Amino acid sequence: MTWDTWQQHRYQAAFAAALLAALAVVLLITGLHAAAVWHSALTQCATSNSCASLAGSNLSLGNPIITTLVIATSAVPVLPGLLWGAPAVASELETGTNQFAWTQSITRRRWLAVRAGWLLLGAGVLAGAVSAIVTWWSGPFNALTADAFQINRFDITDIVPVGYAIFAMALGICAGTLLRRTLPALGITLAGFAGLRAVIALWLRLHYMTPVVAYYKLTAPFTPPGSYLPVTNGLVGPDGKPAALDYNVPNYNGLPLPSACIHATQNNPNPQAVLPCLAAHGYRASVTFQPASRFWAFQGIETGIFLVLAAVLIGITFLVLSRRDA
Amino acid sequence: MTAVIQTSGLTKRYRRVTALSECTISVPEGRISALVGPNGAGKTTLLRLLAGLAAPTTGQATVLGGAPRQDPAYLAEIGFLAQEAPLYRRRTAEDHIGIGAHLNPRWDGESVRARLSRVRIPLDRPVGTLSGGQRAQVALALTLAKQPGLLLLDEPLAALDPLARQRFLGTLAEAAAGGGLTVMLSSHLIADIQRVCDHLILLAESRVQLCGDIDTLLDEHRILTGPRTDTTAIGRTHAIVREDTTPRQTTLLVRLNGPVIDPAWAVDEANMEEIVLGYMSQDDPGYSTGREPTRLSAVGGDR
Repeated sequence: MTWDTWQQHRYQAAFAAALLAALAVVLLITGLHAAAVWHSALTQCATSNSCASLAGSNLSLGNPIITTLVIATSAVPVLPGLLWGAPAVASELETGTNQFAWTQSITRRRWLAVRAGWLLLGAGVLAGAVSAIVTWWSGPFNALTADAFQINRFDITDIVPVGYAIFAMALGICAGTLLRRTLPALGITLAGFAGLRAVIALWLRLHYMTPVVAYYKLTAPFTPPGSYLPVTNGLVGPDGKPAALDYNVPNYNGLPLPSACIHATQNNPNPQAVLPCLAAHGYRASVTFQPASRFWAFQGIETGIFLVLAAVLIGITFLVLSRRDA
Repeated sequence: MTAVIQTSGLTKRYRRVTALSECTISVPEGRISALVGPNGAGKTTLLRLLAGLAAPTTGQATVLGGAPRQDPAYLAEIGFLAQEAPLYRRRTAEDHIGIGAHLNPRWDGESVRARLSRVRIPLDRPVGTLSGGQRAQVALALTLAKQPGLLLLDEPLAALDPLARQRFLGTLAEAAAGGGLTVMLSSHLIADIQRVCDHLILLAESRVQLCGDIDTLLDEHRILTGPRTDTTAIGRTHAIVREDTTPRQTTLLVRLNGPVIDPAWAVDEANMEEIVLGYMSQDDPGYSTGREPTRLSAVGGDR
């Protein structure tokens, strides 16, 4: 079966390896350049003691086209699932070759175990390799802008892409088995993968762990150290309870604001002008966020979620394939 | 002689359709059994149940001493060739030989090469580029390389021209002559299968109409021709399978139960095609003579 799986996928594997090599070359060249620029900037700022302001500077580490290419690698984990996962069982059912394969001296369970095993491994290795290159490449960019938690960094670096790829492969294999057709399975895999990723990235990820709350003065801006994941921003009244604040409505109707502050806004077209007044009356700003120290915990949690879902999908595939008529 | 295939009340229902109903058959070892019947009669379903690719709704099958199941030892004994001989189109015959070698405990890859070179089929071309007849030959050779005890072939002749059919059946007869091999093959081509088959199972409307050795079946059936008359008397002794009436005469296909005594009837031997068509058209209104056709229940096994 291993030999058979290799036979079936050797050309695709060679193609994937070639693309991976091309990507590695491009990112190696541009990544070395970015690292060189970053280190010379660090050396420079150290002499003038201005390294603190480096993060806010508009230092250019490379061509934005390459940055776009790197962000585009967020599509890599779903590709093996689409190209090899969806047809893995479905194309056999479509062409009837399953009747050839499953009447050799091998049970369907074993047939699936070997084929799915190698495909899952292949998807994980491919996504892991791309992620490793991208993670290395992103080093100077993350250091400059502290954005490792951003969707276009967190989702393409370190270990989560491996979880995504294994999940997409499992989804492709399972959908192909259930639907018995490659094309619909492809659609389900793409939609299911994109949908779940969106729900997780935009909502669920914010709540993996209880966020940290920080209060700060309205007049002195505050940014948590390192790359952090912002959850909410808010305003806390003198009573310590959250207060709604709408900067776009100058008169703050319905809010228990001091009358002095209402006058301050009415006489000033800039709504920010109310802030010193609010601060004087005991209002504070709050920010809830996931701190930089939780980066690896979040990577682990998210990878775990996708691996568990992949295991469930593969379990369903085994159940269906061995119980249903071929 | 032991039965390689023995089924009792084998039934397969899909959501609304009954594909095979109460199928009770027996095929002795060493027979080449022809599975015939109109489209949708349940031939493919029966073969798939025997190969373990599908599970019966009710009833049971005993094949080579056990129930068809997903088990390497069972599968090693079964050679199954599905309709249209599905193979991996982009892979060569040699690739398939490799797959078989990796998936089977007994595998005679050399026999595939020998068989295919004898009929001049290239081993190194993707099987998708071969003709339908060549592909069927490749598939049969691969199925035989497993050295199975039972060969189940689903319409292996359908896509073949007369010459390819002859070659295919030649390969089959040669393999069966080696002994230890029982074959069941479904087909519509009665003339062709008569050359190699010595056993017949007739399915119609998902039920078994006939099952037995071809020689016995030929012995048991006669065509009776006589004046247009009441057939009740004949029907009392013999089973009337089919009755054709013209204004001047009546032609009957009967299953004999002793000699025909009434001198009004001319008795002729029936050939295989007449018998098969007779049973297949029992319920066909085109042949209706206003009389309820006699329905024969399934008759199992050799006698």
